[in-house]
Formats: sequence, structure tokens, C-alpha cells
Amino acid sequence: MTLDLSAVHGSAWPYVLLVLCGVVPTEIWRTLGAVASRGLADGSPVLTWVRHVSTALLAAVVAKLLLTPSGALALVPWWGRVGGIAAGFGAFFLFRRSFFAGVLVGEAVLIAAASLWG
Amino acid sequence: MALIADSPPQDATTRSDMGWAVRGARDALALPAWVVGLSLIGVGGLAQAVGHPVWAAMASTLFVWAGPAQVIFYGGLAAGMTAPALAAAICFSSVRFFPMTVALMPLLRRPGQGIWTQLAAAHFVAVTVWTEGLRRLPAKPVEARLPYYAGFAAACISLSTITTGVGYFLVGALPAPLAAAVLFVSPIYFTVSISAGARVPADWLAIGLGFVLEPMLRPLLGDAFDLLGVGLVGGTAAFAAGRLLEARR
Repeated sequence: MTLDLSAVHGSAWPYVLLVLCGVVPTEIWRTLGAVASRGLADGSPVLTWVRHVSTALLAAVVAKLLLTPSGALALVPWWGRVGGIAAGFGAFFLFRRSFFAGVLVGEAVLIAAASLWG
Repeated sequence: MALIADSPPQDATTRSDMGWAVRGARDALALPAWVVGLSLIGVGGLAQAVGHPVWAAMASTLFVWAGPAQVIFYGGLAAGMTAPALAAAICFSSVRFFPMTVALMPLLRRPGQGIWTQLAAAHFVAVTVWTEGLRRLPAKPVEARLPYYAGFAAACISLSTITTGVGYFLVGALPAPLAAAVLFVSPIYFTVSISAGARVPADWLAIGLGFVLEPMLRPLLGDAFDLLGVGLVGGTAAFAAGRLLEARR
């Protein structure tokens, strides 16, 4: 009897990949956090380092999405994508750290760039 | 005061678990659930772009429940990352859930609570639910917190699962500028949310280094390891700089 991997590499593959590379690596930290929630000091150096690494990684994700975009976003010129982020970032502070102002202004700049030069 | 503004005190003691869960869901649907839901529209678009089925995209919201991890997952697949590199990058990007869960769980603890209840509560931890939870829960009676939190988080996850599915189809059906706008929701949302979370100079340094180092290190590390490499190099540099700044103060 041979192991039939066609189902795994066929229609089930997106789900297998999702569980192994998405659900497990994420859920493990929530589980460990729940178990360790007694007796670990928030603000310890290790947690601070972990937070900075996560923050830099998330910023890198944004940079990667902007510089090597997929689908319709790739049709917008690079300065329109970067300009949208910069405008949203500025609006966030201009409107007293308003989440919605940041997202709305960033989107407006991107749509304008996409409509005029896309 | 917060309790009075939030719900009349006379029913604060008589409300059942279900009543608190409904209250939590209603508060979530007043705004926070729409913010998360909006951010996950883009994940549906990314999943569609790599050719995965819509149910997988929706399952990613339901079971991963971490926007950045989902963006790395589908964005990384689009960029040609291998499965082990993908798992490693997501594992690292999700480390923040560890301290977040540690900080939130003590608020939700009730006497006689089993481990499965705690693990279920921990699964709901994500940026929006966590920040709103830390802000809203302390004003609630201790026995009301878990059902309120469960209702709040369930509303966020349910709405976001639907918007992920909507985003999946929207991206193909929309005119190009709006399709680009849907794919742009994730980068702009994460930019604003990491900026909102930045407190000390080292946080800003980590954000700046992440942005700048990604295009610099990608040619060296390749598409498989660039995110991890940038996170480790930029994050460690920001950490070291933060320690130096604190020591000088």
C-alpha cells in the first residue's frame, strides 16, 4: 500500500499548508501565554526584545507588500504606494492619532494615484 | 464612571452570562469589529491572488486570527517562500501573542475555570481585541468579564471572517483602482496600527529599520528569509539602542 499524497497536494493542500504554517505557529504562542500567565513579568528585557523584533518584522512585511506588490496593486506606480503610506502616516498624527483618518487618507491618495497614473 | 456610562448599574449585577456576551458583541459592532473586518478584506484579496479557495481564506481568519500572520502567509506564498520558511516567519511574527496573552489572562480568570476555557479565551487574543479588552474589562464586574470578552471577540471574528470572504471576490470584480485599494488596506492598516502601538524611541527605530532594511537585505537573504532576517537584525538593533538610551538617561 502506497501513501496517496495526491489529495494533500491537490484540493486539500491550501488547508494543510494553512494549519501547519499558519495556525500552529500562531496558536502555540497564545497557548504558551495562557500557561505562563502566572508569574512572568511584563516588561522584562526578553519580552522587550521580542516586541522589537516583531515590530521590525511587521514593518518589513509592509515594505515588501509595497515594493513587490501582487495583483492590481502592482499596476499603481511605486511612488503612489509609498505616497499613500506616507500620507496615511501623516494624517494619523495630524488628526490626533486617529486610526480612521490614517487609513482613509492613505487609501484616498492610493486611489487617486491609481486612477490618474495606474 | 466608566461603568455608568457603559451600562446602567442596576442591571450590572443581574445580567446573565448571555446578557454580558450580547453586550460585548454590541460594543464590538459599534466600531472595533469593523476596523478589524476592514483590515482583513485585504487578506481575502491576497488569498485570491495566490489561487487558494475562498473557504481557506475564511478559515485563515477563523483559525489563525492574526492579520500580520495571514498577510505573511499569503504574501509569502505569492513571493515564492517555502513552507518551512513560511512557518518560521509566522512563528516569529506571532511571538507578540505570548506577552499579550500573559497580560490579558489574569483579567479573565474566574474561580474554578478549566484549562480549555482559558485556551479558548487565549485564541481570541489579537491586536484589536487585546487593546479593547485591556481598556474595557477592568471596569466590568469580575464574573462578567469572560462572557463580555467572549461576545466581543466572537463578533470581531465573525464579521472579519465574512469580510475576508467578501474581499476574496471584491478584488476580481472591482475596477483596478478600487481593487488596488482593497489590497492596500493591509499595508496601511498595519502601518497605522504599529505607529499607534509605538511608545518609546526604540519602537520607532524598530519600525524605521524594518522599512529600510527590507529592500537592503532582500537581495542578500532572498525571498525565503528576508522577513525573519530584517526582524532579527532591525529588532535587535532597536533593542540595543533602547538599552543604551535608557542607560544614558
